[in-house]
Amino acid sequence: MRQTRGHTACALALAALPLAAAAKPIAFAHGTTVMAEYGAGTMTEVQAFYAPSYRYSFGGGHLALDSELDDRTRDITYLRFNVLAKRWNLPTAQANVFAWGGVGRAHVGETGEDDFAWNAGGQVDYETRRVYASLRTDLHESSAFSHRIDTLQLGFAPYAHETNELAVWFVLQAREFTGGLYDGTEVAALLRLFKRNAWIEAGLTQDGKLQAMVMFNF
Amino acid sequence: MKHLRILLLLAGLAPAAATHAATIEMTVNGLVCGFCAQGIEKTLRKNPATDDVLVSLENRLVAVATKPDADIADETLREALRDSGYDVTAIVRTDRSLDAIRAGVAAKP
Repeated sequence: MRQTRGHTACALALAALPLAAAAKPIAFAHGTTVMAEYGAGTMTEVQAFYAPSYRYSFGGGHLALDSELDDRTRDITYLRFNVLAKRWNLPTAQANVFAWGGVGRAHVGETGEDDFAWNAGGQVDYETRRVYASLRTDLHESSAFSHRIDTLQLGFAPYAHETNELAVWFVLQAREFTGGLYDGTEVAALLRLFKRNAWIEAGLTQDGKLQAMVMFNF
Repeated sequence: MKHLRILLLLAGLAPAAATHAATIEMTVNGLVCGFCAQGIEKTLRKNPATDDVLVSLENRLVAVATKPDADIADETLREALRDSGYDVTAIVRTDRSLDAIRAGVAAKP
């Protein structure tokens, strides 16, 4: 039942998206980013942000959490504000620090109750045209729960892509959840492809489950 | 007199000297991801003086071809790149066409 809900949400999210180094919550000034992620059945998330400036964006999303350990589930709909706290533009590299926060409403599956929820997080990343590293943390809290999702990604590109060429990356992802969602570290091997304004990455976790994300900037 | 009239008529029909577009080449820091660099092209194309834009990650280059007799001030260009999240380190104006620059980028191994 839990996995069916996750699969359905992910399929709907992906169907809603026009498809044709690090996922970032801010695209560019006057740019819109839409993203959907299916995280091996433990998390499914869709987001949409608009950036009036390259320094900040706002929008919202929906996060569905399904514990691998028991029957706890959360459906969190939220608004969020993202900030590019710092960027370093180097001759052949870029590094960023992002921070975000917001509020929303959560449905707690095991009690059937709805609750006010808030979220906060941040990301640091470093990339060149051949290597990529990011560390991201997302905290979601309400009076009924507290969950933090920490994600580390390390990527390598077999070739340095040009602007309008297909970019190919091999990414290793390690993720941990708090609050009784998953025990231990979930590791996934991903293939990331992007060209112009479309981005897709997909792979499998050590449990053989699908981890996938699509993103579109326009 | 008749010959003079013909001469003056032909002089009046002589075409004016042809105008040409210029290319502005900018060296930019932070150009490492084509997905992220989409905003550069989008922002620069909004300028009415812009005819075409080329972004090359390999060359750390953003090149703008302007329309005939049009130019874009350096500060306007720096601001456009800043709004896209990048830093310009140098701006030069050349006679190279964007097609020539593209060919050069494509030819590199």
